[in-house]
Amino acid sequence: MLLANCNSKTSWRIHGLMATFVFLIFECAYLPESVALASSSSTIHTNNWAVLVCTSRFWFNYRHMANTLSLYRTVKRLGIPDDRIILMLADDMACNSRNSYPAQVFNNENHRLNLYGDNVEVDYRGYEVTVESFLRVLTGRLGPAVPRSKRLLSDEGSHVLLFMTGHGGDQFLKFQDSEELQSHDLADAVKQMKEKRRFKELLIMVDTCQAATLFSQLHSLGVLAIGSSMKGENSYSHHLDSDVGVSVVDRFTYYTLAFFERLNMYNNASLNSLFTSYDWNMLMSTAYYRLDLYERHLEEVPVTNFFGSVMETIHTDSAYVGIPFDYLLATHMETISNPPMEGNMTSGTTGERPISSVHEESNSDIFRRVLRYWDEMDSDEYVVRYGLLVMPVLLAILIWLFK
Amino acid sequence: MAFRYSVIFYLLLTKAFLFPFLLELVGAEDKQEEEFSEELLLRPLPDRKVLAHFHFESSVPSTETYGQHHILFPKAIYQLVQKFRIREMELSFTQGRWNYDRWGGFDPMSSSNAKPPGVELWAVFDVPLNVVDATWKNLSHALSGLFCASINFLESSASFSAPGWGFRSHSGYLRYGALPREAVCTENLTPWLKLLPCRDKAGLAAIMDRPSIYKGYYHSQRLKITSATIGITLEQTLTVVLQPSIQRPSAYSSGSSFFQPNWSISSLFGRKIIGKCVLAKTSLVFLELEGNLISKLEDRGKENTALEVSITPTRMFQEANKLQVPTSSIMYQFSVEEYSDDRPLDMGISWKLPIEWTCSQAPFLTSRFLMGSGNERGSIAISLKSLGQKEMLSDLRLTSSTDECKVRVVVFQIVPWYVKAYYHTLQVFVDGRSQAFSDLVKKIQVSPSEDKVSPGVMEMELELPCDVRSAAITLEFDKGFLHIDEYPPDANQGFDLPSAVISFPDLQASVHYAEGNSSRSPLISKFQARNIVQSYTEVLLVPLTTPDFSMPYNVITFTCTVLALYFGSLLNALRRRVGEEERYSSKVGIKRGLIPQVLSRFSARLRGKKTGEEPSSSQSSPSSATFGNKLLFKVVLVALFAVVLHYLNDH
Repeated sequence: MLLANCNSKTSWRIHGLMATFVFLIFECAYLPESVALASSSSTIHTNNWAVLVCTSRFWFNYRHMANTLSLYRTVKRLGIPDDRIILMLADDMACNSRNSYPAQVFNNENHRLNLYGDNVEVDYRGYEVTVESFLRVLTGRLGPAVPRSKRLLSDEGSHVLLFMTGHGGDQFLKFQDSEELQSHDLADAVKQMKEKRRFKELLIMVDTCQAATLFSQLHSLGVLAIGSSMKGENSYSHHLDSDVGVSVVDRFTYYTLAFFERLNMYNNASLNSLFTSYDWNMLMSTAYYRLDLYERHLEEVPVTNFFGSVMETIHTDSAYVGIPFDYLLATHMETISNPPMEGNMTSGTTGERPISSVHEESNSDIFRRVLRYWDEMDSDEYVVRYGLLVMPVLLAILIWLFK
Repeated sequence: MAFRYSVIFYLLLTKAFLFPFLLELVGAEDKQEEEFSEELLLRPLPDRKVLAHFHFESSVPSTETYGQHHILFPKAIYQLVQKFRIREMELSFTQGRWNYDRWGGFDPMSSSNAKPPGVELWAVFDVPLNVVDATWKNLSHALSGLFCASINFLESSASFSAPGWGFRSHSGYLRYGALPREAVCTENLTPWLKLLPCRDKAGLAAIMDRPSIYKGYYHSQRLKITSATIGITLEQTLTVVLQPSIQRPSAYSSGSSFFQPNWSISSLFGRKIIGKCVLAKTSLVFLELEGNLISKLEDRGKENTALEVSITPTRMFQEANKLQVPTSSIMYQFSVEEYSDDRPLDMGISWKLPIEWTCSQAPFLTSRFLMGSGNERGSIAISLKSLGQKEMLSDLRLTSSTDECKVRVVVFQIVPWYVKAYYHTLQVFVDGRSQAFSDLVKKIQVSPSEDKVSPGVMEMELELPCDVRSAAITLEFDKGFLHIDEYPPDANQGFDLPSAVISFPDLQASVHYAEGNSSRSPLISKFQARNIVQSYTEVLLVPLTTPDFSMPYNVITFTCTVLALYFGSLLNALRRRVGEEERYSSKVGIKRGLIPQVLSRFSARLRGKKTGEEPSSSQSSPSSATFGNKLLFKVVLVALFAVVLHYLNDH
């Protein structure tokens, strides 16, 4: 029996549109920074983070939780510690009263591997897994009381793995069977992450129907995306476990896992070998990769760059001499205020981010002015009202012109 | 010479007087150390199940010399206490419901370790009254991060309450909240175990095999912090009720339904105890046999023929002077120190003869249920059924001022705001007959719910005659409506009402063991502490009216259609080429309305008939200028309309 992770219901897009609007507004506020420091490609890879999301509620979606936990196990095995993994599970399957194997989750009917293990740490679970909390985790817009274990505390040198699975459709992914994450929402969140320098490279992996459509709006550099199916295709479950009573894993995740089970932390398998390992005959769908936003060659990137936590070791002859933060800040402020000076700046400071180009730097003044103006207008409502007032006048002028 | 003697005398004096003092100082320093103890209590239950109760206790003295550094005490808890100024806090994660009828309702185990399903949290703060709520909110977030649970949902003021006297008497500084539907699983146990100095790697916690723990009928994981000037005590307990797998020799199979199953630690948990946590001061395993069971065993004649304990205990002690119960319970103590890898501790019980007994029960068995049908209204009923144990209540007669024997019952109940309870409909029934409210209710405090702001809290003290057979309290309510965004994704399942707490302040469930004092086991001293008998009622599942969740989508589509029609026709009217119209109408000679004009043009198009065309449209009629002004006016009107609409929408 094959189960498809699809949803034919027309998505209700109001939420998505509103979220887009809000994000657009905030992005404006971050524009100057982004332009000034657009390129972060030369920052050193500092750490690895993983955000693993199972968006489906209810027992019959057992396989989605198994998918997420499979990836959780893999990244943990390959070296990402629990405090750098944000695990979101929309329902409790392990201790569900329907589970005949309490506190255990299996992704194979041979029951050889208990994915739940003894030391699982779930950061968001049950009703907490919503589109809002997901976007808040990505963008870091959380209240001050929220504990560190629930935050994505990545920095500009982080490689972030984002894995999502659930029921989806054309340009959306359902959360909890009640709300949707739109491709626009995702793209905006990623863009905001980029502006806030919350990642260096981001790998988005989605196992759902028509997963490729979820990436259509992405336009931030450094993002690599893998989806389990193309537009119009379904993603199917792999097999049914008659003891558990439901399908236990999806095809895409099953074969992803099959690839990773062969590897250990020291293996140098490239992302390209992962991508080429998917076969239509196995998946019954076409795996989709979006590579145009990613700068590096896939052959050169080991999978442990995202799925593990293997740092590049820099050999130093003497003890490490760090650059004081104050100094960095001072130089940074100077580069913004005196654009012509910048050429001399970079040469002296080792390890500092090189400034991208003169042209972009000189624009920063204008943007700062825009920013200041924006700050003076204290609320979005002004924009709406002024806009409404301006609109009829414009309309009148246009009609008068073309009469 | 005299001088020498005097020196010796002086030295002797100092020795005689100072030495005990010095010893005392050393003793005091001993007390000032951090301590950790681990204990496991096993008890066979009458319904062929086994109760396993893990008790871990860590304490840290309040000393400034250590600062933030601890040897045994978990740093996370110490910081929590320091940051939120916690005086007392209890957090419990429970799955399943404690069966007061079969597993006991009048012993320290049920009164302090039976907890309501889901998460229950209460805390007493040592902060000014005006910041208690804020501290509670921050604490709920911190705990949700620490214990991988959605405790942060207790942050909203609609989900927690400040009981005055019904729950515990810490008026003002106490906050109470419960999440009845919170799942409890391995992820909650993981951080809980991390607080232990040996985690689950050594000692008693090492036998906690996750699948066997969660397979049980009841599972409650508790954490209690008590902070005082002398230091902080952290008490971690895990109570599980397990069903041993039945392995019985065929010789006894004839009457096997009365046989208790044989069990051992390894058959319950799949692991054996292979040694203590070396950091623990005491590491003990207890086997408790209840008084009722002992009396049944004694009825059989010689003791211990019906029951055999597989390992000889280190010690054995009896319960001391309990007046009501004919025989006292027996506690077998096994010291884990004596066992090792080569000789693991695998204590078990095998039954030789079938035996049936009952647990010590509370005077009243409490339950709560819903009445009424439909999605509009209903009522909550709390019933107290007497178990006919008058002897237990008999000593109450002596304490009360009047001759009448009366038992006090305190009811504490929280209902969420969407269950709109009408407190004037409160009725009390005794033995099936409605009673005057003032006769029985001695004290009542009610804080009605406020929509989306605070839950409804009821604290009530009843005084029931001892010979009452049954009593019931009913309360009517209306079901409210939630905003569409406030419904959970599985709204059709219904909403859970947290358990009510029913306590009997006159009755105390404490067990004094005769020789338990010398061992100074924290578990035994917990048993001896003053435990008020209390029970939690069932969680109620209230089905609320759920809206058609696709309705907003429908509304949006309909509204958009109407708007499209309106703006479409408006645009059509505005963009019409007026000059041509006028010429056409003047040719026809009849002034017609807008819609007939459109219709006639449309029909003309359909017929393919050409309307009369003028060679040039450049010549402007005098009326077109005035029409332009009109058009401008119309546009401004529409814009104004839009602005007004937006303004009204905002306010």
